[in-house]
Amino acid sequence: MTGVVSALVEAWQELRINKTRILLALVGVALSVAALTSVVGVGNLACEGFKSAAERNGGRSATLGLGVFGPTQADPQKLEEAYSGIIERYGIKYYSHLSPAQQSFQFPNGVQQVQLQVVDPGYGVIHRVDVSQGSWFAADDEDRLAPALVVSEAFYNAAGRPNLVTHPKVTLTGSQATTAVIIGVTPDPYPQSPPSAYMLTRAAERAGIGAMVGMGQFKLWVQDGQAEALKAAITSDLQQQFPGMQIQAERMDYASHGDPFAAVQLAVGGIAGLVLLLGAVGMLNISMVTVRYRVREIGIRRSFGATSQRIFLGVMMESVVATAVAGLAGVMLAVAVVKNPWIESKIAPDLTEYPAFPIEAAMLGLGAAILVGALAGAIPALVAVRVKVIDAIRF
Amino acid sequence: MEELVSLKGVTRTVLLPDEQELHILRGVDLTVCSGDHTAVIGRSGCGKSTLLNLLGLLDLPTSGELRFQGTPVERLGNNERAKLRGSSVGFVFQQFNLLPGRSALDNVTTPLLYARGPAVWKRRELAMDMLDRVGLACRAETMPNMLSGGEQQRVAIARALVRRPRLILADEPTGALDVDTGQAVMALLDTVATETGAALITITHDVNVAGLARACYRLESGVLTPTEVPAGVLA
Repeated sequence: MTGVVSALVEAWQELRINKTRILLALVGVALSVAALTSVVGVGNLACEGFKSAAERNGGRSATLGLGVFGPTQADPQKLEEAYSGIIERYGIKYYSHLSPAQQSFQFPNGVQQVQLQVVDPGYGVIHRVDVSQGSWFAADDEDRLAPALVVSEAFYNAAGRPNLVTHPKVTLTGSQATTAVIIGVTPDPYPQSPPSAYMLTRAAERAGIGAMVGMGQFKLWVQDGQAEALKAAITSDLQQQFPGMQIQAERMDYASHGDPFAAVQLAVGGIAGLVLLLGAVGMLNISMVTVRYRVREIGIRRSFGATSQRIFLGVMMESVVATAVAGLAGVMLAVAVVKNPWIESKIAPDLTEYPAFPIEAAMLGLGAAILVGALAGAIPALVAVRVKVIDAIRF
Repeated sequence: MEELVSLKGVTRTVLLPDEQELHILRGVDLTVCSGDHTAVIGRSGCGKSTLLNLLGLLDLPTSGELRFQGTPVERLGNNERAKLRGSSVGFVFQQFNLLPGRSALDNVTTPLLYARGPAVWKRRELAMDMLDRVGLACRAETMPNMLSGGEQQRVAIARALVRRPRLILADEPTGALDVDTGQAVMALLDTVATETGAALITITHDVNVAGLARACYRLESGVLTPTEVPAGVLA
């Protein structure tokens, strides 16, 4: 106990006395750690951004898309029963139809064609739909007499940006004119995008848009590890119910062909490792020079009774204590850089809510700093242990 | 008196780069007891420092027997010798060898960092006591480069004695000091050694310093022989 305390006291004294020299050496380590942590943090943020965009398009991991195709269209009612059976049998919580449709709407400036997505409430969860105003569909929205609509920003603008609290209405024109209520607004997928809207499946059927439902897809969100087994089981189920038809049960999400970020993470890890290696070499270089400068002092300490282990521990602790402090500073710098709002918006423009700074990046930075300190301290410490006391005192 | 350190037929030989052997010490016999004040005199290069290193457990003899407090030193491992050196031997060097950048108090505290038990926790208190004994309590926070040569050597003495060693080894302790300061330092060293009951071995080529000892040896070409205590100018 006293040995460890004494070694720490000794290391701290050494750092205090040589603060300018050590500070200069540690600036390099702190910057290396900051670079390492920032690269990992930025990489993580970019991955989150890519993931978010990919999940909006293809659904969360793992999303299965089901479809039954053949020379003739499958009986819609039988298909619905088959899908309901699958949901019940496999206990699937989030699912949704997805049927595209074109529908004309009456806006204050005239009638306009709108890309309508006919979906179920589960679609919002599966595709991570963000709502900037109002809310996404709830299960009881299917029972509204006036169908609920979640519209894009472009649609909302065309409708004159009414206050959602007032339950604004829009009219679906055509053979069966219907009044719908806007309950939520989603951001436009890209600038200048045309107006679009989501409507629930049953509401679309009642509004006469149901004809296209059978042409669309049925999506399920299942656990990653169960996706392959479920694919086989569902295909078999559907094949039995629709003999002679072609069954589609495929993963639609970004991770369907393995983790697309693995290569990016490998590259990021490689760059981070290189950065750290450069920092370690710099630290080692300075530590070696420092030990040569301290040969006499080491000899004097040996004359006081310092054992080889104690000299080794002392030299190494200096390096470890110093790099741990530098690592902490580096991690703080990295957090300040990565969490800067401007940088966040540039790296992950698709994200509306940015994730917290990844704790694993901070731990990696700090751990790497301590490891660098231990490695960069071990070699000079070995040199220090090999110092001949008699020669050292006369050095 | 208790026998502290004894050398019997000790030799020390080193191998030169051209494979030839250099005999630095030849058949050295020496016994030092607690409370002794022994001087070893000799010219530069006669092996004085090699003898000091053997006495201070910094080196091992090539042949012969070296016992410290009755224990044959060659049986001790490096770490055991280091621990024994830390607890029982205090060094005073010619060039003081104070650690730069540390105050006088920090310098005196340093050997206590290699001690065990309460001495580690009470190190500042013990160091202040020792600085007080050498008359430098008022300069405790002063850096070595702000102290005179005599003051630096007094700090070095305080540092050598802070762990209450049984043997004090002084290698040319007045070599870097003027005559008056050297005399004061030697008087202090002798007084403190006597008070603590430690044996003092002074290695010097200065007959005035050797004259303060109670026993004297001459080292010539690696051979140690007893000699009369010189009647130095200062004695």
